[in-house]
Amino acid sequence: MDNQIVDLYLSNPKVKRDWEDFLTSLKITNFSANEVDQIDYTIGIYSGDDLVATGSVAGNVLKYIGVCNKGVTTGSRFNAIVSELVNRQFANHIYHLFVFTKLKYSDSFQHIGFSELAHSDEAAFLETGSPDVNDFLTDIPRVDDQSDKQVAGIVMNANPFTRGHRYLVEQAASENDLVYVFVVNTDASLFTTEERFQLVKDGTVDLDNVIVVNGGDYMVSYATFPAYFLASPDQAVTYQTTLDARIFRNVIAPALNITTRYVGSEPLSRTTSIYNDVLTRELPSAVEVKVIDRDQTLTSDHQVITATQVRQFIKKGEISSLTAFVPETTAQFIQNHLTTLQKRIQEGMNIDGN
Amino acid sequence: MAENEERLRRTMMFVPGNNPAMVKDAGIYGADSIMFDLEDSVSLSEKDAARVLVYEALQTQDYGNAELVVRVNGQDTEFYANDVKAMVKAGIDVIRLPKAESADMVKQLETDILAAEKEFGREEGSTHLMAAIESAKGVLNAPQIAAASDRMIGIALSAEDYTTDMKTHRYPDGAELEFARNMVLHAARAAGVAAFDTVFTNMDDTEGFYRETEYIHQLGFDGKSLVNPRQIEMVNKVYEPTEKEVLNAKNVINAIEEARLKGSGVISMNGQMVDRPVVLRAQRVMRLAKASNLVNEEGNYIEK
Amino acid sequence: MEIKETAVAGTLESSDIQIMISKATDGIQIDLQSDVEKQFGDQIRQVITKTLNDLDITAAKVKAVDKGALDCVIKARTIAAAQRASQTTDQPAWEVL
Repeated sequence: MDNQIVDLYLSNPKVKRDWEDFLTSLKITNFSANEVDQIDYTIGIYSGDDLVATGSVAGNVLKYIGVCNKGVTTGSRFNAIVSELVNRQFANHIYHLFVFTKLKYSDSFQHIGFSELAHSDEAAFLETGSPDVNDFLTDIPRVDDQSDKQVAGIVMNANPFTRGHRYLVEQAASENDLVYVFVVNTDASLFTTEERFQLVKDGTVDLDNVIVVNGGDYMVSYATFPAYFLASPDQAVTYQTTLDARIFRNVIAPALNITTRYVGSEPLSRTTSIYNDVLTRELPSAVEVKVIDRDQTLTSDHQVITATQVRQFIKKGEISSLTAFVPETTAQFIQNHLTTLQKRIQEGMNIDGN
Repeated sequence: MAENEERLRRTMMFVPGNNPAMVKDAGIYGADSIMFDLEDSVSLSEKDAARVLVYEALQTQDYGNAELVVRVNGQDTEFYANDVKAMVKAGIDVIRLPKAESADMVKQLETDILAAEKEFGREEGSTHLMAAIESAKGVLNAPQIAAASDRMIGIALSAEDYTTDMKTHRYPDGAELEFARNMVLHAARAAGVAAFDTVFTNMDDTEGFYRETEYIHQLGFDGKSLVNPRQIEMVNKVYEPTEKEVLNAKNVINAIEEARLKGSGVISMNGQMVDRPVVLRAQRVMRLAKASNLVNEEGNYIEK
Repeated sequence: MEIKETAVAGTLESSDIQIMISKATDGIQIDLQSDVEKQFGDQIRQVITKTLNDLDITAAKVKAVDKGALDCVIKARTIAAAQRASQTTDQPAWEVL
């Protein structure tokens, strides 16, 4: 039948070639393994032997949406493809979905129930379903008279929570009435999301004006900032972090009255360094960016404290070296779970990234 | 055979049951029968939604004089029981059983329909049924299937599954369907029910569509299942009677009328007795002529 | 009927409406997006609300994206979403159909 939606199996070389050719004709050209390997499944519509529409899903993100409107009502195939992807994800109990798209397609997505979270000159980032960003913000704890308070925000992966992180939080806590620490939600690190969240909580329990919150899908998540988790070209990092920064500036900060964002200076990680640059460019004047110098948190023998180094110690089992790098709470956790952590590394968990 | 007046069934248009745009517009194309599909055109995860959609549409939409048919899911699926109940409650004209292979399957459907009629207070016997033959076994049992129920209005050949079962596929000349078509047709005629031919899916091959339709018309099928409204007019054109056929039929009708006026039990024309098949054919030709707008109110041929 | 989980029915295609139903503590809140919101928004909300009430649902969060659906389609999609949300798909609500 015309316009029937079919599964496209990209494992079939011919199907994959047709799919790439079709998308390339629509100027979608990034088929790096990084991106394509994330795809859970792909669907398409054929007219005769020609592929005329396609879309894919990776987790809660719609990807590679491409539609040719030749000979049909504009939008009908687009709606059919997106509808099918959305319904399949809902059927899989994934009720909250995102899409990155070229800016010019943002309206098309908004027309079928997506809301735009942020856009840059070239790209837009949208969500649909439930719970949405408003639900996320509603669930974040508040203090009395928050609108009159000086509020700051920090976003960290804390893999694991180090003395460097602790110093950053201390600085913010001493200069503000309230500090939100958003812990990255995506579970793609040596320490699980639950573990990282708990280590941040335990490591800041003495600071009364700090609230630790899961960053959800909106701050350095796999949805907003995949390059944080996958080695990617600088251009992709800039493109993604611009949107990530704008969500923080336009949506998160105003809802919580956050006026300052604290970040640690980043001499060692290229990705994080680009992120900091983009934050410094995008957030002001709505949100001031304070960069805390890493040099102020050197160990007694003048080493820069990084979570990357901590993970190396874990790999090598050098527990005694840990205390200079991490607070007592984190050190204790590592000691108690050393074999589990080392096993994760042996099983292939990458510990050189973020 | 169902005790309903014989009606034209030239075109049975398939409508995917979970597509609101198509369900809504199904009545505007002038199909003799509209078949809402809950089976193959509906994905597993949407079976419930399609059932409710067709139900609600049947309550509110005007489908004119079309005969309304619903293809329920097969008896071996978890959806069948609720499909039948919902469609009986909705007051559907005909329930179509897919993958019919035996008279027992039809009898089971009849039992289920009767139970639903009782449960929802519908007149018992008002829901008709038909069976789709989609396998070698179904074809060989077609005579029993066609005669299995008083509610039966017709049987249909469904070639997609049938050719798969036969380890072949469809060819342009239709040789692979020859036996099945004749079997289904004979079973239908012997049981006094309608015979529907299978769908033709290649919308770009107009010539092939006409060739196939003319062929099944020649064999004697009542009509054809269709997937696209554009095919309705094409089928009707093939089924349109010739001027000569209409004039001849009109003569038979006149002879019947004359016999009625004279109070005679015997109908004669040109000195010959007119027997029942001739009367039935004449009535059918006149119905076709009327549907094709070839005759006026009195049944006289309109000169073009 | 008790809402146990978030559920959706309907598509974003022309003449359809996509209805998502989730738990809520009190009242029926409807977030409706429609090209004909101005002309028919109230009517669409009314059909959804009445259908939910008929199903004995008095508290629910509803997100609806309308693509020009007729009332019978709105009702059908609301019923389907509600039955999915209450995990009663295999026991159709005969009295409401």
